[in-house]
Amino acid sequence: MSTTHHRDTASAGSARAPRSNRGFEIVLIAAYGIFALSATARSGVQIGRHFTYAPVAYSLSLLAALTYIAVMIALVRGGARSVLARRLCLVELVGVLVVGTLTVVDAALFPDATVWSVYGQGYGYVPLALPIIALVYMAVTVRQGPRAPRAGA
Amino acid sequence: MLSIVVAVVCGLTGLLALYYTLRDLSADLILLAGALLSALVWVLLGVVLTLRDLGGGAPPERVTLYGYLLTAVVMTVGGGWMGLFERSRWGSLVVAVGALVPIVLLMRLHQIWPGGFA
Repeated sequence: MSTTHHRDTASAGSARAPRSNRGFEIVLIAAYGIFALSATARSGVQIGRHFTYAPVAYSLSLLAALTYIAVMIALVRGGARSVLARRLCLVELVGVLVVGTLTVVDAALFPDATVWSVYGQGYGYVPLALPIIALVYMAVTVRQGPRAPRAGA
Repeated sequence: MLSIVVAVVCGLTGLLALYYTLRDLSADLILLAGALLSALVWVLLGVVLTLRDLGGGAPPERVTLYGYLLTAVVMTVGGGWMGLFERSRWGSLVVAVGALVPIVLLMRLHQIWPGGFA
């Protein structure tokens, strides 16, 4: 790994995030990585073991897992300016709110818990906070930071 | 006994990493050593629990047990890894998360298989 980083400010280099420090973005990536890992493992075990016991809950567990994986990949590749990452975070937020509300309103639909049950209660409500923090951070980054050259969406 | 060591090592590493984050410091060799030590004690705990399992301990949720052990090792190693390459306070915060979240996993392990720690 070479020590000479090119910090070209305005030149049309790669559209990727800078290879040097990512800043707070790395915390988001780590958090999404942890949830991608744990939600995938959880839904995998649930579906593999007894899918018919709670098909709705387990399907939503899988959906949550896929969302976390997608957001993580979008953040790694596109950084905080990624439009895709922002859209996926919105999907995630809607998912947490809808599933969270459903588990409160119609508990019979969920014989077993998902990551998003009761707004992520089983995970210290981090599943609810995470997309909000990510969206706020991404909005602030886009508004404040120097405009990075981006080719299309 | 071993889980107390795991909790203390992870807890101290996590607190140190949080201190680094507050002081705007990137991870140095001391903090990275803490992350490495956290990973090593988790590997050790995994070996001990595996031996107990092989010795007829019969954990009730074997998949979950090993899943948690693996996740904890991945988190401690991953936290140190990111702290190594992200040279800012945020790298230190990732080290903190990678050290502190496994403590929750440790508590869950005790619930899943109390016999493994008896």
